[in-house]
Amino acid sequence: MVTFQRAFAHNGRDGNCKHLALRIPHLSDDFRCRSAMTGGDDKRRAFEETALPHLDAVYRFGLRLTGNTAQAEDLTQETMLKAYRSWHQFRPGTNIRAWLLTILRNNFINEYRKAKHRAESVDISDVEMRSVFHDVAETDPEGKFFEQIVDQEVLDAIDRLPEDFKEALILSDIEGLHYQEIAEVTGVPVGTVKSRLFRARRALQKELFEYAVEMGYIKRSTL
Amino acid sequence: MTDRPREIDCGEAAEKLYEYLDQELDAATEAAVRQHLEMCAPCFQVFDFEKTYLKFIETRARAQGAPESLKRKLLDQLFREGSAAD
Repeated sequence: MVTFQRAFAHNGRDGNCKHLALRIPHLSDDFRCRSAMTGGDDKRRAFEETALPHLDAVYRFGLRLTGNTAQAEDLTQETMLKAYRSWHQFRPGTNIRAWLLTILRNNFINEYRKAKHRAESVDISDVEMRSVFHDVAETDPEGKFFEQIVDQEVLDAIDRLPEDFKEALILSDIEGLHYQEIAEVTGVPVGTVKSRLFRARRALQKELFEYAVEMGYIKRSTL
Repeated sequence: MTDRPREIDCGEAAEKLYEYLDQELDAATEAAVRQHLEMCAPCFQVFDFEKTYLKFIETRARAQGAPESLKRKLLDQLFREGSAAD
């Protein structure tokens, strides 16, 4: 690290390095300085600033799709490298996160899905689609019981959703994509996204409610 | 003169619930739902509950991020790619 700082002191570009460091706080100093040292690489700089902040989102989506951390890491790496190599295809002004998640999803379908041991998913075709609110209106209308449910239980319940529904829910509720963007990532009409999202949310809500009842976090309404 | 939002009933409000919370409605429909919620306490409670639920999912499921080791590995790879292209 000291070596890099000296190098910057020599060529007077340490200011540039600091500037980058402020904008991308999670990048390692080492990488930032090395990037700046080689200098002039607009593509790399654009990629660092635009795509890398979405690494967590890419990894999370990979993890939910593959169901294991080793594959999620491989998939994330492959996705980011593909994105870097195809950087010229990214249209500025469009949603970079949606673009990265599309690359990840296509890669997953082509390379991983065949090999993936599919976990048993819940059948949500018969799930009652009314809000759990009506089950807790008397006891907990503000839904405070949710707070008692731990992260892992939520993730496990998401993983038990059928794949198409899980995908819509992750892209919307965790990664914040718009319906139109989800439609583009998953290759289905917006109407399908809406209905999948609706069913996925209600099915997950029901699962979490049942879990909370089982754990004694909340009593089922007798009404 | 501003147009008043059209009136909708509880059924239609419930149908539009998630689109409203996701800010996916056109301005006129959004105004109609908002107006309904201002006047209908039971619907307001359901919307509020669902909003809490969606926020909860987002917070819980976003807690997880890429491991540090993966970030480092990737940065090294990108640097090598970049150097090769230079």
